[in-house]
Amino acid sequence: MELTAEQQQIMDGAKGAFLAKCMRWLVEWGAAMGARRLIPVTNTHALVTVPGNLVWGANQKTIDNAMTLLRPACQHRVCCHSTTHITFAHEEQYDEIEMPQEQVEAQLEVMEMAREAGFLMTYTCAPYLVGNVPLKGEVCAWTESSAVVYANSILGARTTRHGTESAIAAALVGFVPEFSVLLDENRRATLQVDVTAQLRTPTDWGALGYFTGKIAGLDVPVFQGTPQPSQEDAKQLCAALATGGGVTMCHIVSVTPEAATLEQALGGNPPKLKVTFGDSELRDSYSQLRIHTGDAIDTVILGCPHASLNEIAEIALYLKGKRLADELKLWVCTAYATRANAERLGYAKMIYDAGGYLFCDTCPTNSMRLDAKRIVTAGFKQAHYARNMIKAEVIVDAVKGCLDAALTGRWSYVG
Amino acid sequence: MSDSIVIKCRGLVKGKAEGEALVAPTTLSFWGEVDPISGRIIASGHPLEGKSLRGKVLVIESTKGSSATPLVIGLAHAEGNAPVALVNINVDALAVLGCVVNNIPMVSELERVPFEIIETGDHVSVDADNGIITVTKK
Repeated sequence: MELTAEQQQIMDGAKGAFLAKCMRWLVEWGAAMGARRLIPVTNTHALVTVPGNLVWGANQKTIDNAMTLLRPACQHRVCCHSTTHITFAHEEQYDEIEMPQEQVEAQLEVMEMAREAGFLMTYTCAPYLVGNVPLKGEVCAWTESSAVVYANSILGARTTRHGTESAIAAALVGFVPEFSVLLDENRRATLQVDVTAQLRTPTDWGALGYFTGKIAGLDVPVFQGTPQPSQEDAKQLCAALATGGGVTMCHIVSVTPEAATLEQALGGNPPKLKVTFGDSELRDSYSQLRIHTGDAIDTVILGCPHASLNEIAEIALYLKGKRLADELKLWVCTAYATRANAERLGYAKMIYDAGGYLFCDTCPTNSMRLDAKRIVTAGFKQAHYARNMIKAEVIVDAVKGCLDAALTGRWSYVG
Repeated sequence: MSDSIVIKCRGLVKGKAEGEALVAPTTLSFWGEVDPISGRIIASGHPLEGKSLRGKVLVIESTKGSSATPLVIGLAHAEGNAPVALVNINVDALAVLGCVVNNIPMVSELERVPFEIIETGDHVSVDADNGIITVTKK
């Protein structure tokens, strides 16, 4: 790979050993992916946290391991707008999730160091809901696959799928290897999905994403025939696309900035494959994540990816004046900033009064040993991963179906 | 001692390693389908469910899914429970990153279909520096 004089100097240690290592990671990674150069990056979203709690089985060794990355990283300043992906507990929730003392201490140290380094600790999987909204064409280095798909497909920004080390390296050295969707030719759609199913809820959009992600592999899908999506619809579509497979971006005709028309999305080429998403495909997507042996449920999880203020308002108003079923746990997951706003507006109290919980900075799948037997959730992504990670039966349904289940303690198919 | 089979390939992440092959002509998501500490595949219904990645040469179509892939590889690596090398058909950028950061050799673009030659339990030696893997049947 060809490096500029400045990049070569950083690689040679002009800015210290750690940034030299960051540069080496980016160069070796880029070379393997076919990148010919490193280009400037102006927006990053990185995981800056100690490893999570019980699901991750974090112990002193994993904390020490994380610290060997984070301590030297935070000796430097970020080069650009850099927000943070989820952490594993908000400071008010350490008791709630039974976080061991050594992890609490390590996390407090990380937060202090990271602030000094210039990271903006949004602690969310949906940074585009709390102010990190890159513009069309902006080169970013984002982690969190659902957010990557959203940034590329809805905002028209450009980011490959980053891991912790590459996003932190990009934030500190200010460059990323140029491959994948950073290049125009890799942003063109190759898989055409004709949508004939009626998409009525954000979760229906999740079903579309889950179906497409499974067949797309590394292809770029284009959706035609959909109604105009809401922000929540787009969020569910992007999250589910990244769950089923390795999708980095999609096009929605007339929504994606680069897809005014189907022809523009395809870049003048015929699609490699054309599929239809009709009512039977919609039903099939749901039935894959509705495998259960009974109707009694104990846990409802909403806010995957993190809930918008609009979703929280809808949930709160639906629950206002009602009580959840006995022993039922309702977790609504969101960013700290969104929760603060929900508290100010009174929506948080409506959820608490009903017996639910507004959980911020993380989600129970990531941070808790959930003692759940049967979970209902509105996110295809959550449902997909929770099956293996929590070892519970998981049912996916629209938000209203989830809330009805939370109120009655039972889930039944309404259609 | 049976004969060895040599397959040319492209070295993506440099290095050499050898171990027992763990083979499945399918994808694997490190996040959610692998326990990061024990290095065991936990996905119900996955052809490699219950198998440990520790010390193995992982021969699969590709990794997929979450951007936590490098993190899970790193956690398993810190515990000594990561695979020693990756042999993949399709290249997932996140697996490459996980291998770069943790110094795990990775190869792709094999001149023969590995699933027709390598079986779980075979001994595989991966030389990503020279783009060669050597298979010794069990």
